[in-house]
Amino acid sequence: MQLHGWEAVLFYVLAFMTLIMGVFVISARIAVHSALFLISALVNVALIFILLRAEFVAGVQILVYVGGVMVLFLFVIMLVQTRAEEESRVRLYTGQTKAVYVIAMLLAFAFIAAMRPAQSGFQSPDATAPTQTSADRGTATGQGAGGVSEDTQKVGSALYREAALPFEIASVLLLVAMVGAVMLARGSKQEKLYE
Amino acid sequence: MLGTLTTLMLVAPEWVLRWTKEPRGNAFWAEFVVWPLIQILIVLFIVLTLVAYLVYLERKVSAFMQARLGPMRVGPWGLLQPAADGLKLLLKEDIIPLKADKTVFQIAPIISVVAALVVLAVIPWGAAWATIANVNIGLLFILAVSSVGVLGLVLAGWASNSKYSLLGALRSSAQMISYEIGMGLSIIGALMFARTLSMSGIIEAQQADGVWYVFFQPIGFIIYLVCALGETNRAPFDLPEAESELVAGYHTEYSGFRWALFFMAEYTSMLVTSAIAVTLFLGGWSFPGLGLIKNQTLFVVVSIVIFAAKVMVLIYLYMWFRWTWPRYRYDQLMDLGWKWMIPAGLANIVLTGIWYVLALPKSRGGVFGLMQLGLRDRLAPTRWSGIIYFVVTGFVITIPIIWLVLAAINRRTRDFNLHAQRQLQIKLRAKRLQKHAEPQAAGEGAS
Repeated sequence: MQLHGWEAVLFYVLAFMTLIMGVFVISARIAVHSALFLISALVNVALIFILLRAEFVAGVQILVYVGGVMVLFLFVIMLVQTRAEEESRVRLYTGQTKAVYVIAMLLAFAFIAAMRPAQSGFQSPDATAPTQTSADRGTATGQGAGGVSEDTQKVGSALYREAALPFEIASVLLLVAMVGAVMLARGSKQEKLYE
Repeated sequence: MLGTLTTLMLVAPEWVLRWTKEPRGNAFWAEFVVWPLIQILIVLFIVLTLVAYLVYLERKVSAFMQARLGPMRVGPWGLLQPAADGLKLLLKEDIIPLKADKTVFQIAPIISVVAALVVLAVIPWGAAWATIANVNIGLLFILAVSSVGVLGLVLAGWASNSKYSLLGALRSSAQMISYEIGMGLSIIGALMFARTLSMSGIIEAQQADGVWYVFFQPIGFIIYLVCALGETNRAPFDLPEAESELVAGYHTEYSGFRWALFFMAEYTSMLVTSAIAVTLFLGGWSFPGLGLIKNQTLFVVVSIVIFAAKVMVLIYLYMWFRWTWPRYRYDQLMDLGWKWMIPAGLANIVLTGIWYVLALPKSRGGVFGLMQLGLRDRLAPTRWSGIIYFVVTGFVITIPIIWLVLAAINRRTRDFNLHAQRQLQIKLRAKRLQKHAEPQAAGEGAS
C-alpha cells in the first residue's frame, strides 16, 4: 500500500510521534508521566487508524483505551504511593542499556524481514473499492447519511458473522475474570449480613 | 497531540503542498481552510458566550427556586454579571502549590476544556450549512472525545498534591467510567432505528420515520438523561466536588483562570450532552411544520433556533434537578450506576432488538411485516401501523419488563428498598439485643 502526499506526511509524523512517546513511556521517572505519554502514543495510533480510513476502530481505540483503560491505570497509580521511590535518584541508564539497544536492533531487523514478503501482497484500497470521502466531506446534511457508515458496517458484520465464536469466548473469559475479582474482593462479612 | 496536528494542518508551509502535487487553488483553500475556520470561530464565540450566560442562568434559576433575586447589580437584571465574573477570574492570581507537579497541574485544565470543545465540531446545530462537520462516526467521536475529559479531572486531582483533590479525582474517575457504560448502552436502542452513527444521519432518520425516537425509546431516554448527569458531574451526582466533604474536590487547589477552564468544561459538556440527547431522542433541529418554510436561509435560521430551544429545555431540566435533589451518597451512586442503569440499558437493548426483528418485513424473516425500505435503502417503520407498534411496545411492554428485571436485581439493596431494609434492621437489632442479654443473664445467675 502506497501513501501519497498529505497522507504520507501525516503518517510519518504520527508514526514518529508514536515511537517517541513510546520511548518517553519507559524513560519517564514518575509513573503518572509514563501514563500520560502512553495516552499520547495511543491517541497517535488512533489518528493513524483515521488515516487508514478505519474511523470506527479509531473511535473505539480512544473510547476504550484512552477514556477507559488509561483512566483505570491512573486510578491504580494514584492509589499506590510511589512518590518516595520517584524522588530518590535511581540511575536509569545502567549496563542494561547497551543490551537493550542490541535487542531492539535485532527486533527491528526481524520485523522488516517479516514484513517484506507481506508488503507485496498488499493492494491499495483505492484501486479496489470506491471510498466515501467525497460524500463525507460535504457540509450539506443530505450526504453521508445513507444507512450505516461503511467502516462500522464492516466491523459489525465481521464481528458477528465470521468472528462470533472467538468474540464470545473472549467475552466469557473477561466475565469469568470479573466475577473472580469480585469474589476475591468481597469479604464473607457482607454475605453474612443478609443471612 | 490533537493540537499539534491541527496546527500542522492549518499552517502547513507552502512547500509541502508543492511537493505533494495536490490540486490546489482558491477552491481548495476556501473549502478546507477558510470556511471551516470561520465556522470554528463563530461556534466557539457563540458557545463560550452561551456558557458564560449558562452560569448566569444557573444563578438566576437557583435564586428563583429559593425565592431570591440572584445577581441584580451589574447591568439591568445583572445581565453583565458574566463579563464581570470573567474579568475577575482573568485578573486573579494564578497559584500553583509548591509541591504540585507543575506541568501536569498546568496541562490538566487544558485537557478538560479541549475535550469539551472539540466535540462541538460534529454537533448538527441546524440544517444545511449550520452543520459544521458531518463525520460518519459522529456519535462515537463525541463519546470517545468526551471520555478523554475524565483525564483532565484525574490529573488535576493527582497533580495538586492535596488529599481533597486526590479524593475528588478518585471519585470522579470511578463515577465517570461507571456512567459512561450506562450512557453507551442507552443510545444503542435509538441507533438500531437510525442505523447510522452520523449525527445528521440520525436527525434525517427521525424525519424519514416521522417520529422522534424518544417515543420508541422511553427507557433509553431516561437512562441517557441520568447517565449524562453522572457524566457531567452535576448534582445530584456532584460527588467529585462535594463542598461539604471535599472543599471543592479535584479543583480545590486551582485559582483564577485555570479554575475557570474547569468551570467552562463543565458547562460545555452539559451543553454537549444535552445536544446529543436532542439529536438522538428529540429529533434534532426538526419540528412538525418546519417544512412549510420555503426560504432556504430562513429555514436554516429557524432550524438553529429550534435546536437551541430544545437544548435549553434540557439544560433547564439539569438546573432544576440540581436545585431540587440532595446529593447521593457514594455507594448509592455506584448502586444506581451498576445495578440500575446498566441492567436497564442491557434489557432495553435486548427488548428493542426483539421488537425490531419481529417487525421486519416477512421477506427478511420478520413476523409482523411492519417495516419497509424507505429512503436510501434504510428500513423504516410503516406509517402509523409500524409507528404505533413501536410506541406501544416501547411504553406498554418494555417498561414493565424492565421494572420487573430491576426489582429482581435490587431486591436486597439498601437504599431503594426501604421497607425490607427496615425489617432487616429490626431483625438484626433483635438478634443483637438477645446476644447482649444472654451473657448478662448468665452473669446474674452466677452471682
